[in-house]
Amino acid sequence: MPTREPKVLVNEVSVTFESRGRSVVALDRISLQAHAGEFLCIVGPSGSGKSTLLRVLAGLHRQSAGEVRIEVDHPGTPLTAMVFQEHALLPWRTVRDNVTFGLENRGVARAEREARAREMLAMVGLTRFAQHYPHQLSGGMKQRVGIARALANDPEVLLMDEPLAALDAQTRTIMQEELLRIWATLGKTVVYVTHSLEEALLLGDRIVLLTARPGRVSQVYPVDLGRPRGLEVRASPAYGALLETIWSRLREEVVRAMAEDRGPEADGLGA
Amino acid sequence: MAIASPIALLALWEWASATGFLREVFFPRPSTIAVHLRDLAADGTLWAHLATTLARIGWSFSLAAVLGVAIGLAMGLWRRLREGLDPVFAVIYPIPSVLFLPLVSFLVPPGEIALVVTTAVTSFFLIAFTTTHGVRQIDQRVVEAALHYGARGWRLFATVLLPGALPFIFTGLRLGLGFSLIVVVAVEIVAASRGLGALLWLSWQILKVEDMYATFFVIALLGGLLSYGLAALRARLLPWVPDLGDR
Repeated sequence: MPTREPKVLVNEVSVTFESRGRSVVALDRISLQAHAGEFLCIVGPSGSGKSTLLRVLAGLHRQSAGEVRIEVDHPGTPLTAMVFQEHALLPWRTVRDNVTFGLENRGVARAEREARAREMLAMVGLTRFAQHYPHQLSGGMKQRVGIARALANDPEVLLMDEPLAALDAQTRTIMQEELLRIWATLGKTVVYVTHSLEEALLLGDRIVLLTARPGRVSQVYPVDLGRPRGLEVRASPAYGALLETIWSRLREEVVRAMAEDRGPEADGLGA
Repeated sequence: MAIASPIALLALWEWASATGFLREVFFPRPSTIAVHLRDLAADGTLWAHLATTLARIGWSFSLAAVLGVAIGLAMGLWRRLREGLDPVFAVIYPIPSVLFLPLVSFLVPPGEIALVVTTAVTSFFLIAFTTTHGVRQIDQRVVEAALHYGARGWRLFATVLLPGALPFIFTGLRLGLGFSLIVVVAVEIVAASRGLGALLWLSWQILKVEDMYATFFVIALLGGLLSYGLAALRARLLPWVPDLGDR
């Protein structure tokens, strides 16, 4: 359960991309924090740099300015583990070997790796598929493997980059419920990027809204819709009101992003 | 279909030669060729030549495979090397391999070694090209995920880059093996007294047309077997590659 204790601290982080001799500011002095055990959702129009922010947190991209701090509770495990948008599993490794990949790279003993994989696969409901290869699985199952792979590393913070965006609507709904269950079980701090406001409202403790490029923090909304939360939350008046509030603000940003993409400043730089 | 079409072709040929539609002097019936093939096998001639050719293919293919995969991987991994070698490869690759025989004979002892090295040239380029491409086409998102999960240096190579390139390496090996056969037979026609190519050419020169066709069939069969063999091996060794219906 979320506390007030800060877990992730992002302080004045900027990211500038150099592209054909011009520089494009993707993130402009972003400051935010995620509390320990919090499910923090980041929402913004495309091009707002939400994925870039996640990549900075993951250490896959270096910020141009500012700092990122992640509080360490269990030394020896990685700071972050990312669930990628297109799952990015290693096609030549079985489900089990994908899940143990991070542990293997860290030199964890085989017996421990395999025990950990069993535990994680049981949690995501893929025990029977341990010896399958990714191409034998459905999209939803692949993303379950992606989640198991990330969690097997017992990271301080779980990062998720639109993990359900590529799935069909029904699978996505099932996966959202699964995610809530797993998060409630493990109590991990999660930073979750999505372009779906409905998803953010269902999953998140707070929603950080980013502006169109350059990405800045527009506003942070607490999601006071109670826990445990299920799909029925969509019927509550509070949900509708919050959706309306955030959407009216997000809409402006989306319109601005679209206008900018059409304008001469557009640079085809996806984030 | 895979079996039916060659049989239909042979039946047509048998009929054409038997009825005189094709001149039997130049196009003996397949059934006659089969008898000659049996005789060639019975007196050991065929096996001796086959063994020679197989040994040459074995050596030159191994040489091409080891160097081709090694240099192909290096070119895939290091842009500088790739950019440096690409123009050289582009110029040398299209030259018909047999033309290298005199050149190679100046560099290495003429005879068996020159023959093997010449045969290896084209296969080497094919294998190096496909291997390079195999490394380059690896999904960067997968590489990034592997980096994120801590794979570095040798482990990154062994768990991501090499397996990622393997399907292409296999395609290169299969093409390379096929070309080894093509080139070895050509080189044997030009510059050897033993081997299937030499047997075929000799049979032609002394107008033992049936023996020529018999050798021809053996070469064709050998090519088919080598190709299917590698395809089967690939399915065995690369179980993660979805079945492409490619055999």
